[in-house]
Amino acid sequence: MRTPRRRRAAAGLLLAPLLTGCFASDGGTTDDASGDGSRLRVALAFPPAENFSPYGADATLLSRLGVTEGLTKLDANGVPAPALAESWTRENDRNWLFSLREATFQDGTEVTPVTVATALTRAGEAEPVTAALSGISLTAKAEGDRQVRVTTEDPDPALPLRLTSPGLAILSAKAYGGKRVNPVGTATGPFELTKVTGTTAATLDRFEEYWGGRAQASGIDAKFIADGSARTNALRTDQVDIAEAVPVSQASTLDKATRRETATTRTTSLLLNTKTGAFKDPKLRAAAREAVDGSVLAKDVYEGHADAGVGIFGPAVTWAAGKRVAPAGRAKAADPDGTAVTIATYDNRPELPEVAQVLQQQLREAGFEVKLEVREYSRLESDALAGKFDAFVGARNSLLDTGDPVTILASDFTCDGSYNLALLCDKKVDRAVAAAEKESDTAKRQQAAMNAEAAILATDATVPLVHQRIITGVSTSVRGVILDPYERTLVGTGTRR
Amino acid sequence: MAAALVVAAATAAAVCARTLWLGAHRRLDDRRGGGSGAAMLAALPEFLTASVLAVVVGVHLGWLPALGWYGPRWMVLPALALGLPAGALLGRMLADLLPGAFAEPWALAAAARGIPGRATARHAVRRCVPGLLPNLGLFVVGLTGGAVTVEQVFDIPGLGRTTLQAAVAQDLPVLQAGTLALVLLAAVAGGLVRLAARRLVGPALRDGALHSLHRPTPPAPSRAPLLHGTLLLAVVALGLTRDPLALDTGARLQPPSWAHPLGTDALGRDLLARIGHGAFTTLALAVAISAVALLTGVLLGLLPRFSGPLVDTVNAVPAVLAGLLVAGVVGGGAATPALAVAAVAWVPLAAHTTALLEQERATTHITATRGLGADDAYLLRRELLPAVLPPVARHALLRLPGVALALTTLGFLGLGAQPPDPEWGLLLAENQPYAERAPWAVLAPATALALLGALAVTATGGVRWPRPWRRPLAGAPQRPKPAAAPTVGEPG
Repeated sequence: MRTPRRRRAAAGLLLAPLLTGCFASDGGTTDDASGDGSRLRVALAFPPAENFSPYGADATLLSRLGVTEGLTKLDANGVPAPALAESWTRENDRNWLFSLREATFQDGTEVTPVTVATALTRAGEAEPVTAALSGISLTAKAEGDRQVRVTTEDPDPALPLRLTSPGLAILSAKAYGGKRVNPVGTATGPFELTKVTGTTAATLDRFEEYWGGRAQASGIDAKFIADGSARTNALRTDQVDIAEAVPVSQASTLDKATRRETATTRTTSLLLNTKTGAFKDPKLRAAAREAVDGSVLAKDVYEGHADAGVGIFGPAVTWAAGKRVAPAGRAKAADPDGTAVTIATYDNRPELPEVAQVLQQQLREAGFEVKLEVREYSRLESDALAGKFDAFVGARNSLLDTGDPVTILASDFTCDGSYNLALLCDKKVDRAVAAAEKESDTAKRQQAAMNAEAAILATDATVPLVHQRIITGVSTSVRGVILDPYERTLVGTGTRR
Repeated sequence: MAAALVVAAATAAAVCARTLWLGAHRRLDDRRGGGSGAAMLAALPEFLTASVLAVVVGVHLGWLPALGWYGPRWMVLPALALGLPAGALLGRMLADLLPGAFAEPWALAAAARGIPGRATARHAVRRCVPGLLPNLGLFVVGLTGGAVTVEQVFDIPGLGRTTLQAAVAQDLPVLQAGTLALVLLAAVAGGLVRLAARRLVGPALRDGALHSLHRPTPPAPSRAPLLHGTLLLAVVALGLTRDPLALDTGARLQPPSWAHPLGTDALGRDLLARIGHGAFTTLALAVAISAVALLTGVLLGLLPRFSGPLVDTVNAVPAVLAGLLVAGVVGGGAATPALAVAAVAWVPLAAHTTALLEQERATTHITATRGLGADDAYLLRRELLPAVLPPVARHALLRLPGVALALTTLGFLGLGAQPPDPEWGLLLAENQPYAERAPWAVLAPATALALLGALAVTATGGVRWPRPWRRPLAGAPQRPKPAAAPTVGEPG
């Protein structure tokens, strides 16, 4: 008879690979012993979805980690500031001349007008086209040894703003060699992507030749932790130094000292379907707008980590408050008298289902019959764009793609808009947006955008609910985190621990 | 995974330790029907255990890392979260079979010859393990594909999570690779389990030399179901008198008080009311699906040759993935989540039926009955089904909380229970982010589910109404307690 003991030993041997073979490799979290700045450990909320392609949703990941840069960048007031381009001039309606600064790519090659022109041309040819260029056609040509001329097909006064988009990052020629665009070691930012571990982690090293000065941290170990509680726990157990996008439900578990709050350009709004269903009637839209109270949402659902909705552009858009126009010619509210409506929302942002439930009660009290539809965003978008729901609750970063306030109004609220969830097609709105698109002077463009905002609000197609403040968990030992209202940057040359 | 198995084994050992000790010392007759503790533990949702462990052990005590997957130290908490409920179920299954084993003649003979209790206990375990093996195999595969929530809480890059994300993002290559890996794993696990079972009882099966572990003696009734039932009924009845939809965002996350005996949720709704009103929606659908799964499971379990490969394949598919598949095939309909859950819920029941049937067929009393001239139909009707059906039915009841939870996780298809419906699974899901700040908000619905599980287990042993105590016949073999399977193939 076989002894059970021998069998047990064999079983142990068989189990050993199971126990040891399947761990993710630790992203080298050990500190540099040289005292030359320690590495930063960062937990990001959204894992790369497209292999760090600079043209899709991953573009902001690259800019947040200080990997990529464009010709221009947004400053705190929403005005384009020099980045890889030192200065620029508008030659005429369609031509812009950008002067480049002396800079090197992370692969050691120089930033030349030819490489910049190639990078912009490639971005224009990307499939699907990057959000900042949707509906725009541009050509870029090298001019002399330090300048690039960008020509747009139609006049585009917002071009420098558009070029701030993370989707228009400048990469070296090497990036375009393969089948897909590869930002590993080909960008110009203070940090260089060196290793990507699937969708779970990324390793970055300091780029010593950065034109803006050497970064203080010697590198970054980034982890992608989609679950909000897990991300917060990572900070609380000192596994990371910075945790972005801490959900409201977890905010109070963080010490005050580690909790940073930034007003963002992200607005949560109730979009009413103006094409089909109950809210086709502007009087019912007005009734819904009057029934909804955003301050309750800001105070209770967001636990004070948000401001009540004032418009499409919230308090983080610093210039907006002074230029706001009161909407005129709104419809008079009618009695809903038990009209049945369906509100759709998604649960990828955990607060939204709660917002929808509070809205449900507020609308019910006003006399609507309300049904909710909560799904995962990817299973909701096409139905929402097809107008299958009466209303949609969504959180939208109003200045993420281009930094240009007019672009988002055009894509979300005009007849030809590509992301028009309210299915709004209103002559007055289209006219106001078109007028704003023509303005080239920053102040005038901003004023025209606010006029268009008023025209949109007058239709009651959108009811701004709250302007969210983003909560970033930052360990007390970390200095110099960039809390960007546009959610485009997080780590910079001055960030260290 | 291996660590989760170790935890499961340890939990199972703890659950049936008392039975083993009593059995080895021939004092099993004193044992009253207990086991509600294990049933409640088994009904606890994995994500709850996971969140609690992560926050308490990982964050507050700082003993073990609360997330990540970099080495053995990182394995302990996820293993505990997965292994505890599964181990409780396996343990209950074992504890249910053991009395039967101890009542067999060899045990009596062993005691008479003075063989030490330890040896007897070891042999009894060896005698019962083959009945558990199929479920152990299902557990291993289910762990890989279905532990999505635990992977999320601890941020583990698991196969289940990767496959599910691929399915949601419609990333076909990853989805195909993931599903293929799961199916392969299931096939390998299934093969190994069958091999092990043959090694353990093969000769006895061939010779038809087993005794039935299930005796047609009435089970020992107990008072436990009365207690569980009354508690549950009281909560539901009290809850029904309150409004489950009344929002008061100002009273967000209030701890239990006189105004709100079970506290309030994140929108200030009364949890007692929500649990009370949710009982019907939750129970009606979950019971219906369990019944369908039981029927399918038993029918297919009776045809092991046909269902064996099917069990292996279907078990490899987590319920959420099944949901996506069903949605793809029949399109979006209100019945889609129910169909999807029913499509996977029968698997453990079928495996259980097959395992019991195989052993029952090889018992001496079947041989004897056949010798007396009984035909197949008679055997099936009068001997096999009565022996197999009750434990499988109890098993189905025990999985009821799991079914309710599986339905909820399919809500993201937009077809399950939608907020603000007070369905129990939805209550759990909604309040999960607040588990640390407002533990009552998750504990209350979890306890309700656990009570339901305990009620299901204990009630099938019969109810002993409070009345003068009747002593059972001395030496009467005790009916084994319900058998149960681990929570396998649970969706994320």
